[in-house]
Amino acid sequence: MKRQHILLVEDNPDDVKLTLRALDKARISNKVVVVVDGAEALEYLNGTGKHAGRDPRDLPQVILLDLKLPGMNGIEVLQRIRSNDQTKLLPVVILTTSSEERDMIEAYSLGANSYIRKPVDFQQFAEAVQHLGLYWLVLNAVPWQDG
Amino acid sequence: MTTKATKTSEATMVLQQKDGVEDYTRVVLNILEDFASDKDRLEDMRRAVVNILEDFTAEKGRLQETQRAALNIMEDFAGEKIRLEDTQRAALNILEDSAEEKTRLEETQRAVLNVLEDSAEEKARLEHAQRAVLNILEDSAEEKTRLEHTQRAMLNLLDDFALERERAEAVNLRLQETVDSLRRANEAADAANRELEAFAYSVSHDLRAPLRSVAGFSQVLLEDYFDRLDEEGRDSLRRIIAGTQKMGQLIDDLLNLSRLTRAEMKLQPHNLSAMVKKIGEAKKKAQPERKVNFSIQEGLFAACDEHLMEVALENLVDNAWKFTGKVESPRIEFGSMEKDGVIAYFVRDNGAGFDMAYAGKLFQPFQRLHGMTEFPGTGIGLATVKRVIERHGGKVWIQGEKGKGTTVYFTL
Repeated sequence: MKRQHILLVEDNPDDVKLTLRALDKARISNKVVVVVDGAEALEYLNGTGKHAGRDPRDLPQVILLDLKLPGMNGIEVLQRIRSNDQTKLLPVVILTTSSEERDMIEAYSLGANSYIRKPVDFQQFAEAVQHLGLYWLVLNAVPWQDG
Repeated sequence: MTTKATKTSEATMVLQQKDGVEDYTRVVLNILEDFASDKDRLEDMRRAVVNILEDFTAEKGRLQETQRAALNIMEDFAGEKIRLEDTQRAALNILEDSAEEKTRLEETQRAVLNVLEDSAEEKARLEHAQRAVLNILEDSAEEKTRLEHTQRAMLNLLDDFALERERAEAVNLRLQETVDSLRRANEAADAANRELEAFAYSVSHDLRAPLRSVAGFSQVLLEDYFDRLDEEGRDSLRRIIAGTQKMGQLIDDLLNLSRLTRAEMKLQPHNLSAMVKKIGEAKKKAQPERKVNFSIQEGLFAACDEHLMEVALENLVDNAWKFTGKVESPRIEFGSMEKDGVIAYFVRDNGAGFDMAYAGKLFQPFQRLHGMTEFPGTGIGLATVKRVIERHGGKVWIQGEKGKGTTVYFTL
């Protein structure tokens, strides 16, 4: 079985490092591709711009999407992912510092598969990432995995 | 001539006896027979008689004429008499007519008198009418005066009205200005609210992110470099981590407070007694080692937003629970009383209490009257309560005495 990768959309290098560490601690050894903003995330998925030449059919197993991004915010990225036939079924997990209800409602109504609030306490964060990895990378079956 | 004259006079006498003419003739013949002898004399006599007769005839004719004339006169007289009678009749007729005329005249006179009487009545009536008209005119004059008064009053009213209107317009203008300034204030408040929301959103993201870094990498140090740190180093890292958690909590409390301000309210009657009871039971369950005596007045209902009221009561019970932590027999009471005709609810405890000099400060966020080690907390509880009560249009105040306990009152 081909090892599926994870796309992490995160502009804060501290959060990138802590997320990678949390994934590592949770023994999730999938390759993690990090992009620093929404535009790059779309370029990566479509194989354009900075990621020209990449095969757009090689989709990540799950996208970890931060809401607060420079330029195009996470909600817009989610909208673009959902409006593209190629990527509309991709599992998207919102990872954010925000506990604002409206963010959560908006994210879910636009088709986010999960919503995780990054806690200040790293141990709590690590646990959350572990649960998330277990679900989206191990338990969740996606239609294109068999193809 | 004397004889003839005597005989004529005799004849005239006889003649005068109207029907004695023929008797007279016989007498004459007798005389003639007596006097036959004397033929001449007789002849003379006869001639005389014939003459007399002739005279007599003439006389007779004259008499007849006279008689006729008399008859004529008599006839004329008769005609005259008839005429007189006619005249008399006419006069009588005239007189009769005149009588009728008189009667008619009297009638006319009477009629005229009647007319005059009627006219007098009419006149009286006319005078009445005239008087009435005069009265009416007088009344009308009064009426007119009154009307003018009324008119003047109306004009005054209109003047007053105009004045009033001017004043009203001025007031209106001021009101409009007030409304405008209120609207501006409202817009400013809305803007401030949006700003606050943006700020809260920003706080939620931006303040927490570096905090997470501090906490996260401190944890990394603790985990990966545990062996290379001495106990003081490890203690420092633990304090750093605790500090970030504390700050994380403060940020969350702040966000919750701002959310209370922004949250939509749904006012419905809720049983406050039941809410307090539920909160108390949760506290007992969380800290079963604490023996706190709850005294809750049953059936206190109030129109409020369920979630916000729960938050407020939770904060009040939390405080009471916390500040009775060091007393012999802790007691928390929930009840109601009347204050200025309004129902005031209260949460009372017999805990640590406070110095009333600082009462005003207690409802400000992050104001604390106790040391962290004595009673931990972020100092946001009463500020939250105040926010909730004020959003319900109520008031909140606090009474306490150091070492004797605290009572927080609120109205809705």
